[in-house]
Amino acid sequence: MTEQALIDTFEAPPRRQRGWAKLRGVLLSDRKALFGLVILSLFTIAAIFGPWIAPYDPNAMSFDMMLSPSWSHPLGTDDLGRDLLSRIIVGTQVSMFVGVATVAIALVVGVTLGVLAGYFGGWLDHIIMRYIDLQWAFPNIIIAVYLVAVFGTGLLNLIIAISLAFFDDFARIARGMVLSIKEEQYIAAARTVGVSHLRIMWRHILPNAMAPIIVQATVSVSYAILAEASLSFLGLGVEATTPTWGLILAEARSFITRAWGLGIFPGIAIMLTVLSINFIGDALRDFLDVRETKESA
Amino acid sequence: MTRYLIRRAIGAVIVMWAVATLVFFMLRIVPGDPIGAMLFDAGDAAAVEALRHKLGLDAPIYVQYVKWFWLVFQGDLGNSIYGSNMPVSKAIIEALPRTLSLAGLGFIIALVIAVPAGLIAATRRNTMLDNVVSFWAFLGLSMPEFWFGILLIIVFAAGLKWLPAIGYVPLSDGFWPWVSHLILPAIAVGTTFSAIIARNIRSGMLEVLKTDYIRVARAKGLTTSAVILRHAFPNALIPVITVAGIAFALLMANAVVVENVFSIKGLGRLLINSILNRDYPTVQGAVLVVSAIFVLSNLVVDVLYTMIDPRIRYDK
Amino acid sequence: MTTKQVMLSEAEQARIRSELADAYDFDPRDPLFGLNRQALSGSRLERRTVLRLLAASGLLTAGHLIGVPRPAVAQGKAGGTLKCGWAAVGEIATLDPAQINQVLQFQIASNVLSGLTHINAELVAEGDLAESWEVSDDGTEYTFKLREGVVFHNGDPFTADDVLFTYQRSSDPAKSIHSAVLANVASVEKVEDHTVHFKLKAPQASFLPKVLERASGRAMTIVSRGALEKMGESEYGLKPVGTGPFKVTEHQLGQTVVLERNPDYYDKDRPKLDKVIIQPIIDAEPLAAAIEAGDIQLIGGNPIAPELVDRFVANPDLVVDETPGPTFQAVWINPWHEHMKVTDFNKPVEELMKEKGFMVRLAIAKALDREAYIKQGQFGRGMPAFGTVNPAMGRYFDPDLAKASTQTFDLAKAKQLMADAGYPDGQGFPKLRLLTTPSNRRETQVVGNQLKQHLNINVEIETKDFPVLIEDFDTMNWDLVRLGSGGDYDPDDALVDWMQTNSKFNGRRRDKAKYAFGFFSDKEVDQLISDQSATADIDKRRQMVTKANKITSDKVASAFLFHQPDILVHHKTVAFPKESRIPGLVDLDRVTLA
Repeated sequence: MTEQALIDTFEAPPRRQRGWAKLRGVLLSDRKALFGLVILSLFTIAAIFGPWIAPYDPNAMSFDMMLSPSWSHPLGTDDLGRDLLSRIIVGTQVSMFVGVATVAIALVVGVTLGVLAGYFGGWLDHIIMRYIDLQWAFPNIIIAVYLVAVFGTGLLNLIIAISLAFFDDFARIARGMVLSIKEEQYIAAARTVGVSHLRIMWRHILPNAMAPIIVQATVSVSYAILAEASLSFLGLGVEATTPTWGLILAEARSFITRAWGLGIFPGIAIMLTVLSINFIGDALRDFLDVRETKESA
Repeated sequence: MTRYLIRRAIGAVIVMWAVATLVFFMLRIVPGDPIGAMLFDAGDAAAVEALRHKLGLDAPIYVQYVKWFWLVFQGDLGNSIYGSNMPVSKAIIEALPRTLSLAGLGFIIALVIAVPAGLIAATRRNTMLDNVVSFWAFLGLSMPEFWFGILLIIVFAAGLKWLPAIGYVPLSDGFWPWVSHLILPAIAVGTTFSAIIARNIRSGMLEVLKTDYIRVARAKGLTTSAVILRHAFPNALIPVITVAGIAFALLMANAVVVENVFSIKGLGRLLINSILNRDYPTVQGAVLVVSAIFVLSNLVVDVLYTMIDPRIRYDK
Repeated sequence: MTTKQVMLSEAEQARIRSELADAYDFDPRDPLFGLNRQALSGSRLERRTVLRLLAASGLLTAGHLIGVPRPAVAQGKAGGTLKCGWAAVGEIATLDPAQINQVLQFQIASNVLSGLTHINAELVAEGDLAESWEVSDDGTEYTFKLREGVVFHNGDPFTADDVLFTYQRSSDPAKSIHSAVLANVASVEKVEDHTVHFKLKAPQASFLPKVLERASGRAMTIVSRGALEKMGESEYGLKPVGTGPFKVTEHQLGQTVVLERNPDYYDKDRPKLDKVIIQPIIDAEPLAAAIEAGDIQLIGGNPIAPELVDRFVANPDLVVDETPGPTFQAVWINPWHEHMKVTDFNKPVEELMKEKGFMVRLAIAKALDREAYIKQGQFGRGMPAFGTVNPAMGRYFDPDLAKASTQTFDLAKAKQLMADAGYPDGQGFPKLRLLTTPSNRRETQVVGNQLKQHLNINVEIETKDFPVLIEDFDTMNWDLVRLGSGGDYDPDDALVDWMQTNSKFNGRRRDKAKYAFGFFSDKEVDQLISDQSATADIDKRRQMVTKANKITSDKVASAFLFHQPDILVHHKTVAFPKESRIPGLVDLDRVTLA
């Protein structure tokens, strides 16, 4: 997409300040968003208290391999005799962490670059945006694969790789917003009274640019979770002792025909989360009045 | 317009150069030794050095870099340093039709699903049908492609035995063999994508239906279907074209994973394999070609844009 | 689930014993290895002669002699297309004999290219391109009469010049990775258009059955000069032109290799099939789906993922042909790791036992419950290992080692050793990095889990692709590695390649100033291994092999894990004759479809 088209997309959305009460109202009245909220809360609880809730040690193996769901193992056991429910519960923590941490890094890096580029313009803008263009020319998953190959596997490397693959979206959006806000009169006014650049960016521009960034961040969490699953499939994910949904699913792939639960349950966990996040993202989009931009996969 | 095109073309070349340079240098800090792996059996230090020399890997990095670019300008992407050392360009030429077939068929499947779904969802807003469509669209977005692909294999290949499980057959071997091998992977590739298009069509339609000229059209007494198909839909297609522009990027992303599930040696798998094998020349060549395709398709979309939407002008 | 392992009957064992004894019964100083010129010359070598030659060159093992009873297969007619899947591999990187370094590659090349000789599953070495040959009294000169009227796939006639060309190419280290195989050849001369003369530097028993053999030897697998010049090396590597039963008509790297019947093959009765299509399939589930759906009818390539085997056995449409495993798999322990340090293995085990580093090594080896590992990690397919010498080596395999080795599973002892070393219940012991490859990733978790459960040692598994893993392994940049060897039919494969101080896998690229040796070094073992290689007397050789194997086991050269079986899977409709079931190979020239 060209700069101009992007600017068109973001041309001065009406930025209405609405309170938390209103947001709550929107979320609660939207049945899909409400559904998302409930599911996400459940998963968040599982993520926080996972190790205490899980009925078994997620890495403890037994000879009871690929059992069907039963009272002692509500979701059955996996191909190494580990309790699937416990693995999924503990996996929630890691998967959510991957999703959130990835987006946090991508957001900070991307927004910083985007704001700097949009605010200062000139050669800085040129350099940053040329790089972003460069990265934008590639599907995120290919960049992530490439970076994992460079850094090596492991949780930390994985998070860095995915976030670096994702930050260009944030940079583009932030820059687009800054470009339109920069022209507003109150920015010019702030400048004439001698407010520092940093303060203008931090206090005046950023808050007004946040709406589409928040929406993008929400949706990106789900993409990050999916990206982790794909990398696990390609053998570039985290190590087996760190169960993530993606890894559980990827490792189950040659056992699905023998124990269907192995493929279904972690798949459902991923789908429910992504679904919930998207429902909430949609509600936020409506609430913040942001037009859809690029959907990245 | 011409000036704009020239500017964009130069920009595209620079982007490709930068991509290639970045990849060239980053690859060389990757741990892993392709020669060591090649000679795992033979295991003799002198042989390793000889091979290293033969492949030019013992030269200083900047020499390798200049050499590589000089050859690229002559249209020579070098030879793979793996196995039979086949020319990189040949590997790419072989892989390209597979990925394009897969992406093309995936795109068609996506459109076939997405266009009616998006239209129905927009015109029957907040009905049961809308909910079904949007739920399905969300589902498409939230399924990992490899998992979906494996389910397709289990059900339609191993179980029902309707379609082949793996592989690729070129179109020259006949239409049915070609298409039958591609149906399952194309569904796996296209489903996520159809979800995205359906959502775009839906929101695009909703925007358009709110505009004045649609109200005018309705006021004129045109039937609903005429309004939608003649007036609203063409306008709603604009965001679809945007998506189509990055379609290749999106489909490629899906294809990387799906090609691995279905044992199709397309561009995505070529790239992943060569990254994992530290096959420097192939990674460089493949990246160059992939970026060229992306840059080109973005350019084409921008041009299309100006032709479809007169509001956008580039020569300011 | 019970441990499944192919066991040989008493009668079978007796036959193997007598054949081995006969094979090794000769005076090692005799240039003709106790054979006469007549036995060595001719158009085919009898089984007994081949056994003798293999024995004399230190290559003969019981693995060669095992004939496993096979389920009856339908006899098919000529014609038809056979579709094959090559397991756990992304692409057939090369088919050029000069570059081939993987079994899965020469499995295909053996169907396309000819050697001067080829051994079938009954160990009859048949002249392949050599019609007959004569050997001089001192065993250093061989004169080969070549088949006349043989043409390459491109139409060029095969003559003595092609033998010369192949020799020149293969003996050039810049062009072939197998040049060392020809080190003993002094010269090759063309006598007539279809007669060549080889002069050896010294008598060499392995000359006929190994050097000239088309598959495992690879050095004298005849290549076409005309095709090489026309196609170039890299294209030739994809579609080699030879004189074999099939010709490569298409090779799309990473997608398909298409072989078609060579109508001009010198044996008019072979091949039976019209066409063979080979697809590399990297993932397990698609491979299983492909053979179940009938997309492919036979699986070659790398070993099949263990989780699939039971599924194939249960499938009435499939034949699963299993033979004892010519492999060993192990967990390597870095002796230079601060907490597992042993800087000198040249002392009795009792002395070593006083060192803390050795206690930890032994504790790790003793804490591996191999039966449990095989049950969980390998779905019951395999046999516990305590050394590199495997059960396919027949008489060289020492079944008593399982009980006699210091490595025998004993949890209480292992825990005690950890405590004695100063880490009671693993306290104070650091986390270890355990490297593994993507295909071993699943079962490696079982190893990690046992170390955690049994000794409370925390293990972090790191999956690395083979090129990266090997670099780390060669440079000693690891704590633990899960790695092993395949296709070992002779004690040399197990000992010379792995257990000597200068073995090719023993820290080949380590920092020699920092590390005096790689993962293991023992003077007595070095000597025993060199000696056994040069010993012709089977009983003496067996004693040395057993002793060396026992020392490496007791001194924990590595924590040995298991021996993997060799499994061929195909549809019932595929008739795979016994004489074509050569260990490690997939020769399709006699295969038919019902």
